[in-house]
Amino acid sequence: MSQPLSAAARWAIWAVSLSLLCGAAWLRLDHPINTDILAMLPAEQGPEALAAATDRSRDAFVHQVLVLVRGDDGRATRDAALAAQHTLTAEGLRVDDTGATVTQVLTLYKTHHFALLDGDQAARLSKGGAGALAADVAVSLASPAGVLSSFDTDPGGYLAGFLDSLPRPYADFLPDGPFMSALRDGKRYFLLSMESQGSGFAQDSAMQVTNAVHDARAAVAQACPGCGMQATGAPLFADAARSEAQTETLWLSAASMLLIMVLIAYVFRSLAPHVLAALQLVASVLAACAAVIICFGSIQILTLVFGTTLLGIAIDYALLYFAEYWFGDADPSCVMRAVRPGLYMGLLTGVAAFAFLLLAGFPALLQIAVFSIAGLLEAALVVVLIFPVTLTTPAQVAAHPAVGWPQRFIVAACRPSRWRYLLPALVLLISVPGWLKLTTSDDVRDLQQLPPELVQTDGDIRSILGQIPPPGFFLVEGEDLDQALSREEALFARLQPDLPDATTLGLSRFLPSQGEQAASLAAWNRVFAEPAALRTGLTHLGLPAELADHMQTSWRSASHEPMTAQSLFTAAPDLKRFVITESKGVALLSTVTGSKDIDAAVLAKAAAGMPGVIFEDPLAHIAATFHRIRVRTTWLVVIGYLLISMLLVWRYGRREAARMLYPPLLAMGVTLGALGWLGAPVNIFVVVALILILGLGRDYTVFLREGGASRRSPALAVTLSALTMLCSFGLLSLSQIPALHTFGLATLIGILASYLSAPLSLPPERSKTP
Amino acid sequence: MTRALMLSAALWLGVLPAARAADTQAPASAGFDSKFVQTRTLPGFSAPLLSHGVMRFDKTHGFYWEITDPYHYVFEMNGDAAKETLPDGSVRQLKPEQTPWLAAVQHIIVNALSGDRSDLERYFAVAVTPLPKGERVDLTPKPGAMAEAIVSIEVTESAPGHPEEIQIKETSGDRMDIRFSSATP
Repeated sequence: MSQPLSAAARWAIWAVSLSLLCGAAWLRLDHPINTDILAMLPAEQGPEALAAATDRSRDAFVHQVLVLVRGDDGRATRDAALAAQHTLTAEGLRVDDTGATVTQVLTLYKTHHFALLDGDQAARLSKGGAGALAADVAVSLASPAGVLSSFDTDPGGYLAGFLDSLPRPYADFLPDGPFMSALRDGKRYFLLSMESQGSGFAQDSAMQVTNAVHDARAAVAQACPGCGMQATGAPLFADAARSEAQTETLWLSAASMLLIMVLIAYVFRSLAPHVLAALQLVASVLAACAAVIICFGSIQILTLVFGTTLLGIAIDYALLYFAEYWFGDADPSCVMRAVRPGLYMGLLTGVAAFAFLLLAGFPALLQIAVFSIAGLLEAALVVVLIFPVTLTTPAQVAAHPAVGWPQRFIVAACRPSRWRYLLPALVLLISVPGWLKLTTSDDVRDLQQLPPELVQTDGDIRSILGQIPPPGFFLVEGEDLDQALSREEALFARLQPDLPDATTLGLSRFLPSQGEQAASLAAWNRVFAEPAALRTGLTHLGLPAELADHMQTSWRSASHEPMTAQSLFTAAPDLKRFVITESKGVALLSTVTGSKDIDAAVLAKAAAGMPGVIFEDPLAHIAATFHRIRVRTTWLVVIGYLLISMLLVWRYGRREAARMLYPPLLAMGVTLGALGWLGAPVNIFVVVALILILGLGRDYTVFLREGGASRRSPALAVTLSALTMLCSFGLLSLSQIPALHTFGLATLIGILASYLSAPLSLPPERSKTP
Repeated sequence: MTRALMLSAALWLGVLPAARAADTQAPASAGFDSKFVQTRTLPGFSAPLLSHGVMRFDKTHGFYWEITDPYHYVFEMNGDAAKETLPDGSVRQLKPEQTPWLAAVQHIIVNALSGDRSDLERYFAVAVTPLPKGERVDLTPKPGAMAEAIVSIEVTESAPGHPEEIQIKETSGDRMDIRFSSATP
């Protein structure tokens, strides 16, 4: 017979295992808390270019910070904007600096200006020949804008026209020194377009941006007391979300802990349960966090918030032990033996239920699954190793009346009565209309609580800038860059009639395709093939023929080669961001912006049927992913429940197992019905709540089945478990974060239903009243 | 993508530097009406190009620019609407996306002519030199892309708001003189 482990050995095993776990997590730690909700989604599937384009589009979004400084006095406002920019850059934000690039790109465009006629201009010159050019030269010399274009480098003003046609970021904002500025309603606005360093959603980076904006606002106030400053950007939203989640975590944890401690103190009237429960909770949360960090490098904010609910789960096993030790029949040395079947069965089914979430293919659920499994295992480990060597002397607390009522409830509920059938049937009947009212939601925006003031500011800034973020992006693929450019030009041409006021943005706006450049050069060649005609055309308008000779010389000495992508990228490396190199060919990233919301359906329609063109709507894509995962998770729950059913059949036989499975299913039905009546949509987090409800309901039936209705301690343990679960999970229904609120609401209803229906798992019997 | 947009905006201003000083809102000037003679000196040409025309603006009718000789050309702009009458007599409506820079040019010209210097000072170093009769306003672009295209703009006034001549010197060597006559501010 093997010797039982000594107390010292048990403590050592527990401490060393937990330390090793935490140590490994420390070594793996990337950044502790990640607030990027998009990172919770599965990795992109499909074309490699689409995944790269999604990442690139997302990166541009998550890093951008827009700052508007406004004031009545132009000079003072400019000074304030400079003070803001100085502060922001000093605190790590990067400012757009295109000065050096502009000169290089201008030089390149001037060199190749004969290749830059657009389709209409090329057709006009091809058709009209020298006469058309003479007329255009006359207009460029006569136009008030033409007074500022150089005849020497741009006869006819075609290059100016090309540059003018380039997409501009904000219609009414013009470059103004280091800023862009506009005058609106008598106020001067200066725009600072900044980029955060690092990941926009990472805690450090988001906090850095928030602090920098705060300091910049102070700098603006100091430089110009009458000026104001507004800022928006994903890092600001991420930091606000993190701050709110951390605040909620703090008070939810504190409230949960306090309520649980009061409950334990009232029932057990001893300090020992507090100490042991606290030890178990701290250890299980530590182990859970460590396991997540080891697996993923950091912990998602939602996983952390969900982790607070583990406080309830982790204490479940402890309560089973405490109830038996304090108010059970067993000798202290035999408590473990008495609770072991219920503890192990609860642990086994709990881990099995969460393990199925590992197959969901959803990073958030993966983290929660790892978190929960590790927490449950650690909680059980503490009970098994530590409790038996700390609670060794008989408990000195007399059973007070409150200890008895859970058993009385169970016994009363187990009495043979038609109400055991009528009441559940009635509840189900009421639930049925709720089921019919149920709606589903897979929109990621419904899961987040965006701070109203930030949303308002964002709307104000977008309104002033006149630019609404595009609903998605195009991916234009080709066998080579030129084919992709041609396809993009065709796409933009197709979009123009439907969206005449929108701005198309893609590489072809900066680099015409080789075909278009060749057409431009051919048109010029046609014009200069008739020198006499050009002279005649000019003199006919009263202009000197000398201009024709000058242009002829200029044409002969100019490059007749089209501008290449390589030369453009050398001059303006930022434009490479449009290009995604694939293993077979090239893809271009492009989009459309405007001052009004652009209907994604219009963009999708334009892309449809065009070879090599895909329109990607990230939000719709995310919603589709959520839908797919919600459906998959639901099936995993069903399969998991069948597996648990087999475990119960193996342990208790078919008849008993069927009776034990009935209450959790009833609780789930009631929960869904209540959600339908309350108008709460079923989303992925409700599905997670249903998993928990099934798991908890199953635990209660197992504990009662193992302990029996005639004993006081199992009923007490189940009751305390339900109450502590309500303290922790139920509190989430007070959360401001929609995802957590719905989750909390579902678990609140589900736990109540699970507890109240748990006695139905026991056969009706005329038991003696305790 | 944003960086690409910023680049294109800067490029646009690189060639049309005056526009960077402008806003699309109409200037608050009362009005101006004058004939002018435009002398454009191009490097490498033996003789300057001469043209004659009329320029006027007011809040009701907007901006009007007409070349009457050696050929006929009219540019009209009122609000967002703009059109050109070409030498062959055809009329070309300008697309809305083309009008901002035209509006910008008319804005800076109007500001320079009407004596409204507060806006110009944001983009130019403004120096005023008293003359025996009136004054000369020198606008020198502040460092930036504009300074790479424009050397200076000089406005000679008989009195504030009564311009006699504008000279624009470009870094390309082009030079533009616009001399007004019988101005009615």
